[in-house]
Amino acid sequence: MMTTDALKPLAAAFVLTLCAALAATAQEGRSPAAPVSDVDRAVAAFRAGRHAEALAAARRAADASPTAVRALTTRASIAEFMGEFDEARTFYDKAAALTPDDPGLIYRQASYALRVGEYDRALAQLDRLLALHPRQVRWLFQYAPTRLQAQLLRENPSLEHIVQIKIDILMEKGDLAQARRLAQGYAIVQPGQDYCGQARAVMAGRNREDVFKAFRLATLGQPDAADCIWWYGQWLSDEGYVLLGRVMVIEGSRVTPSAANKESGARYVRIRLGGNRDVPKRAEQLFLIARQRYLRDGDLEGAQRLFDECIRLAPGFARPYNYRALMAAELGDREAAIAWFQKGLKADNDSWRTHRNLGKLLAEMERYPEAEMHLRKTVELFGDDAGGHLALARVLYAEGKYDEFLKEATAAVTFLNAKTQIVDVREFLSKFDRWGPGAALPPAPDPNVIIGWNYD
Amino acid sequence: MTSRLKSGLLLLGVAVVLAPGTISAGSYKWVDEKGNVTYSDRPPQSADSPATAPAEVVPLNLKNLEVVKPAPPVQEQDYKKYLPPAVVPRSGPTRVDDLLELTGVRAHLVGLARGIAKELRPAPGIMNAKDQASIDRVLAKSLRPEALYGLMREAFIPQIDRTNLEATAAWLRSPLGRRITMLEVATVDPSFEQKVADYNEEIKANRLSDRRVELIWRLDWVMGSSDSSADLYATLSRGVTKAVSAAGPPERRLRPGQIDEQVAEIRARVSKPLSAVHHEATRYAYRDLSDDELTAYVVFASSDAGRWYHNAMHKAMISAVGRTVEQTAVELVRAVPVERWARAAQPAPQAVR
Repeated sequence: MMTTDALKPLAAAFVLTLCAALAATAQEGRSPAAPVSDVDRAVAAFRAGRHAEALAAARRAADASPTAVRALTTRASIAEFMGEFDEARTFYDKAAALTPDDPGLIYRQASYALRVGEYDRALAQLDRLLALHPRQVRWLFQYAPTRLQAQLLRENPSLEHIVQIKIDILMEKGDLAQARRLAQGYAIVQPGQDYCGQARAVMAGRNREDVFKAFRLATLGQPDAADCIWWYGQWLSDEGYVLLGRVMVIEGSRVTPSAANKESGARYVRIRLGGNRDVPKRAEQLFLIARQRYLRDGDLEGAQRLFDECIRLAPGFARPYNYRALMAAELGDREAAIAWFQKGLKADNDSWRTHRNLGKLLAEMERYPEAEMHLRKTVELFGDDAGGHLALARVLYAEGKYDEFLKEATAAVTFLNAKTQIVDVREFLSKFDRWGPGAALPPAPDPNVIIGWNYD
Repeated sequence: MTSRLKSGLLLLGVAVVLAPGTISAGSYKWVDEKGNVTYSDRPPQSADSPATAPAEVVPLNLKNLEVVKPAPPVQEQDYKKYLPPAVVPRSGPTRVDDLLELTGVRAHLVGLARGIAKELRPAPGIMNAKDQASIDRVLAKSLRPEALYGLMREAFIPQIDRTNLEATAAWLRSPLGRRITMLEVATVDPSFEQKVADYNEEIKANRLSDRRVELIWRLDWVMGSSDSSADLYATLSRGVTKAVSAAGPPERRLRPGQIDEQVAEIRARVSKPLSAVHHEATRYAYRDLSDDELTAYVVFASSDAGRWYHNAMHKAMISAVGRTVEQTAVELVRAVPVERWARAAQPAPQAVR
């Protein structure tokens, strides 16, 4: 299913694209022979996780045969996967110029437009895709009652793709009411189902894609399930989908009857999701891909370029500054890392993660008073941040502020007590209680305990 | 400063960093697209990838062995010639060298150099004679206690606090302070490990009192000795990793942050075992002190002067060892290429009947 394309692992999208490309090959007819070897090499390298090599091979293939649809589509898909969006668009367009009525390619173009936030363009592509269906099917799609739609979509998967992308667009634009109407109208969700309960069950299994699907259905099918919608938002935040995450947390906060939860949701949006700062969809996606190129591929140069582009598009978005800082630290330039964190705070002084990362780096550098300032801000922004409390406790200990150390460490241990094992911290506190201050600094583990606060 | 380096534990760490392509159980690490760090005994890529394929084991061919004159034994200096003086003449403020003499650090550095050399030197028979001789020459040249002392002194000086220095010197000049220094220096003796093992057997039958055990743990707590051991281990790993990484192929070079992560992981892994080893060594080293004398030592170590002294010595030693090990490792992989170290780390093939 191509239901939540923007949320699926990108590799899955790529496989679909390859299917489209293969279908296009059959239609080429008069096109000159495709450079099979380079396209195959690109696909093989991609499947093996050698993404830079895959893109290089795809580029060679497309350059060598500029009228081979398969080569052009492969290059476009891999470029999109790598965050080279302008290149992707150019080659999708070139391929589309050669085969304007290829449904697979039109779907890819719609999906690409959704990814970069060009919603009108995506809708226009979906209209083109719909127009390729037989008249009777189109009529049924538009006018048949809900009870017939499920079967219609089953028999015409491309129609389901159209509906799902439209739902995604509406959700991303924040029009949840219309998205829900669409989902109900096409029997994507059924009344009386406990989607939220299913989502909770799936969450225990920790399969990302299943969790996404389940929470998405819960959001569409159970508008009153405030907690579920909220969790979906926090889950999305951890995954890096800031915009949709923001929509969901705001919706969850709106629906919840609890004043405390409303306040908590508002704070979450402010300190985790940049408040109402403008983050274009394209910038969000560049950030996501840059992160993958850095963490997964070790492609520092490529990641750096995409992060910088992201910062240019969304100067108030703190997350890319954090990654530029982490990259600088990894290259051994801690002063540059500090400068990047400070830029991040200038862009968004309420960014909990940025204060936290900066505080921890300063602590590593034994610049304790500065570290204390940022870690205090960290736990002030998010009081349940046990790892933040422990990091602050360690700094306070290093400064000889033992009473305050004890307060922070105890708060963290109390919070973590029922959730995870922190044997080392407890042992340390026990010795401190018996013997007073020791020579070694206290351990400061950083357990991941709360959805929505674990990754950027 | 009881026996900060313990053989066996370090051997694993050095083997790990010297042969990153042949790491054994629990030593592979990768980061997924969400930044989750995974450790495993299997690499994330296919088992036959070039990075993880076992190197060919070269059969030993006696006919091809060159006749190489054995290098002189490394660091067989007698630590006893560096024992602290019975009396350091006092005329005015205590000099840094006077203080360092009183601590017996020179004798400790003899043991430290010997321990590092032991860990860096491959086991007999796994390198060819020529490589082995080259390694021994590098170790003999690079791991000199005098050089370590110079580096340590250099790193100690910026930390001087006159009040605490004088208070520390007064403690070290006291009869108990001097006695404890001599007991600590005795841990440098090559027979120390065996004596610790024997003593462990002995106290199994005749358990130490709870108060004694408490005092020993408390001493470790206030001095941070176990933590120092782990730091020293980490420093050794970092130095070797940096050198090996720099000498390896560009695509396998680790970035500074990656080295830090790797070292932190290694440090976390060895911390507990080192603490246990340290505890055993301490029990033996101070066995002749009464509980009251040990308490007096704890009191000094807990004082401002004691804290300053142990902290300054720790930092100075880490600095000296870090610089020395890194330079030594650079020279080792220059003398014997990394691939030959990695190949030597491979297990020998089983004989086929």
